[in-house]
Amino acid sequence: MLLQVRDLHVEFRTHDGVAKAVNGVSYEVDAGETLAVLGESGSGKSVTAQAIMGILDVPPGRITGGEILFQGRDLLQLKEDDRRKVRGAEMAMIFQDALSSLNPVLSVGEQLGEMFVVHRGMSRKDARAKAVELMDRVRIPAAKERVGQYPHQFSGGMRQRIMIAMALALEPALIIADEPTTALDVTVQAQVMDLLAELQQEYHMGLILITHDLGVVADVADRIAVMYAGRIVETAPVHDLYKAPAHPYTRGLLDSIPRLDHKGHELYAIKGLPPNLMAIPPGCAFHPRCPRAQDVCLTDEPPLYAVAEDGARESACHFWRETLRDA
Amino acid sequence: MDLAMSEAETLEKTPGGPLGTGPAGKPRSLWSDAWFQLRRNPVFLVSGLLILFLVVISIWPSLIASGDPLECHLSKAQEGPEPGHPFGYDSQGCDVYTRTVYGARASITVGVCATLGAALLGSLLGGLAGFFGGWWDALLSRIADIFFGIPVILGGLVLLSVVTSTTVWPVVGFIVLLGWPQVSRIARGSVITAKQNDYVQAARALGAGNGRMLLRHVAPNAVAPVIVVATIALGTYIALEATLSFLGVGLRPPTVSWGIDIANAAQSIRNAPHMLLWPAGALSVTVLAFIMLGDAVRDALDPKLR
Amino acid sequence: MGRYVIRRLLQMIPVFIGSTFLIFVMVYALGDPVAALFGDKAPDPATAARIRHELYLDQPLWKQYLHYMGQIFRGDFGTAFNGQKVTELLAGAYPVTLRLTLVAVVIELLVGITLGVVSGLRRGRSVDTSVLVLTLIVISVPTFVSGYVLQFLFGVKWDLIRPTVSPDAPFSELILPGVVLALVSLAYVTRLTRTSIAENVRADYVRTAVAKGLPRRRIITRHLLRNSLIPVVTFIGTDIGALMGGAIVTEKIFNIHGVGYQIYQGILRNNAPTVVGFVTILVIVFLLANLLVDLLYAVLDPRIRYA
Repeated sequence: MLLQVRDLHVEFRTHDGVAKAVNGVSYEVDAGETLAVLGESGSGKSVTAQAIMGILDVPPGRITGGEILFQGRDLLQLKEDDRRKVRGAEMAMIFQDALSSLNPVLSVGEQLGEMFVVHRGMSRKDARAKAVELMDRVRIPAAKERVGQYPHQFSGGMRQRIMIAMALALEPALIIADEPTTALDVTVQAQVMDLLAELQQEYHMGLILITHDLGVVADVADRIAVMYAGRIVETAPVHDLYKAPAHPYTRGLLDSIPRLDHKGHELYAIKGLPPNLMAIPPGCAFHPRCPRAQDVCLTDEPPLYAVAEDGARESACHFWRETLRDA
Repeated sequence: MDLAMSEAETLEKTPGGPLGTGPAGKPRSLWSDAWFQLRRNPVFLVSGLLILFLVVISIWPSLIASGDPLECHLSKAQEGPEPGHPFGYDSQGCDVYTRTVYGARASITVGVCATLGAALLGSLLGGLAGFFGGWWDALLSRIADIFFGIPVILGGLVLLSVVTSTTVWPVVGFIVLLGWPQVSRIARGSVITAKQNDYVQAARALGAGNGRMLLRHVAPNAVAPVIVVATIALGTYIALEATLSFLGVGLRPPTVSWGIDIANAAQSIRNAPHMLLWPAGALSVTVLAFIMLGDAVRDALDPKLR
Repeated sequence: MGRYVIRRLLQMIPVFIGSTFLIFVMVYALGDPVAALFGDKAPDPATAARIRHELYLDQPLWKQYLHYMGQIFRGDFGTAFNGQKVTELLAGAYPVTLRLTLVAVVIELLVGITLGVVSGLRRGRSVDTSVLVLTLIVISVPTFVSGYVLQFLFGVKWDLIRPTVSPDAPFSELILPGVVLALVSLAYVTRLTRTSIAENVRADYVRTAVAKGLPRRRIITRHLLRNSLIPVVTFIGTDIGALMGGAIVTEKIFNIHGVGYQIYQGILRNNAPTVVGFVTILVIVFLLANLLVDLLYAVLDPRIRYA
């Protein structure tokens, strides 16, 4: 197994109290596999990714428990300098907004080449050649001429390609893509997503795709983990989940996608707001918004029930059977 | 890191919470919010009390100093402290304590009057330029550029060296003359921003007249930045007055001014450093108090920095 | 770029004319240069009239100004009333003040940026608070106070340096005056850098740099500083003019025979040609410094394109 996250806990300490952003998340990703992590903002999906990458803001953030096994080593036990050498070289991250995530005052060539200079000790000239090569890889036209240009001179799609190129530079074993296409035009989204999926296959990398967009997931992901209030509420192979969700929250997410064949019907929306992470409801965190909630949901926190015998499917709902049956 | 913070922060702010400022920040909520902030800020409380004290003694210096600042005994010149005269005597044999207390009046008067003048003139000219634009705006910006091009102390030396009045008004007038462009730039900028607000555009579309627009919609939004620059400028104006007086072109005797006393004391700093210490200390503490006040007001009124 | 420079140079012309004319009017209209020439003695009316005519003083002000500017562009700044050529005075004084300003700017940059970076990276911690308090105090103490106090301490009490600067004004003697001149601006540079660093340290591109596995040192110097220094550069550019003008106080304290000293003497003695000559050059330096900053801005921030 390439990456195993076990029982991860992350808190943010603010002057108003402690926000429990991640509360016992476990998931795993194998080489060549794509895991989609789904959830609303505040569900802890990005925070988990930042903890894996080691780019959490500490303070106010703090990892209070769990382990992150990457190629057999627990990353949380590594010294800071060893951890740094893993970042970028063995695992890389693609961010949502390429315009703000790229340094505005350095040319893209410098920013790409920097990976080779720092991690591989290359000369700046060789690194620049490598940068051109990378830009070719992600199909940026006229790479040789554009390598000296600055991020603001590229279109949104091209910028995200540069982010992808930067992540791929040292051929890492794992890539974490945090909402990689959300900031892009719809027409460009598919191109960028296809490119990412294609390159992932080519390099046989593990990919964690963080998104709130179920539409993006369907085509590229192998498995899905749905997060709510810092916990995983359902994991399943992608097609099983689409066919029949085993958690009311997943059900709600699926129902709120606009569909052509439902034209004219009112669009479903999950009632209520995402929970306050400083006061997560007891029992099942989703119960205030859940159409299926019973008394037990107010008191007992549901464990991850095995939905499929082989353990490939799990749901954190006391009533997963009923949910599955009604789907 | 950034994302994590914003996620955590979004969750604190439930709709309609304490910080739920209305659309486009209605003036009243900005002011009451700012006042709420200020009352809890120790920097504001300390500097506010200090300034209150300075204002009181500049109006009634005899409250804490019974002597006469102009009553001097040359025989006592440069002598150290003695009972009843805790700070000693200066080169003319005047009581340093009394003079230090009486010096507050000149500094505070110049600071307050110059700030009021510069703020009023600057926001009037800058506000009109921003609101009406066109040639008036262009002309005013160029004039402001010209005043910016003249180094302040230099301009003061040239202009004030021909003045013979011993009142504070020439100095106040000069500071207003060189101070207004700074305020006018800020006022112009914030009026232009306010003018572009959607609700102001809407008011215009509904046929509101220029006067009404300016008074009801634009001015309230432009006032806060002007207050911020003006408060910070107050401290620097006091320092400027002292510098001009020190150079011999600001206030003149018999007006009691810290700047003049510092200039006199500096001549004999080797023999009697105590003469420099007290007026210099009083001046620095006064400037400090106003700059701290300005900082606190800016933090409270500039929502961007929160 | 070239067109932008030309446009900016053209825009400077009205500002240049305006500010020099203003100073010209102040000096010539407010004082009586001829009376000053004779000192305490009352001049013989005929001689006074002759001198007035020679010096163009019997013409309307705007004609005097045009005449004066015409001479300046031919390199003739006139003669001071003591018979010295103003150009000679300029050549003697400007290098001294430039050296002093250079020392001040270097100190501002080194100390101000270092303190700003240190406190900006540790926002809210004790280092940050102490730096902030220190800058507040430094801003509050006017230059003429800090100048005398430092001169007294270093030059008299501890006897570490010469309290006054010799006429040649070598760099070694300008260090303390440079510190005094720089102090207030230094505090502003520190605060500006601190704010800018604290803002940028949360920026997305810094997070990217961390995610790339770059060493902390490289993140700070190559990514964070480049972006954070843009407002600082603007400040220092506009400050160069203010420093040269503000050098009057410092030069008076340390008895440095630079621009400020000459202007101060010129004003005290009502020596109009000296004052106007020095101020004209000062205005040009100020305008050019501003232009230089705008251009430097484009180098530092590629997003800015001048058209």
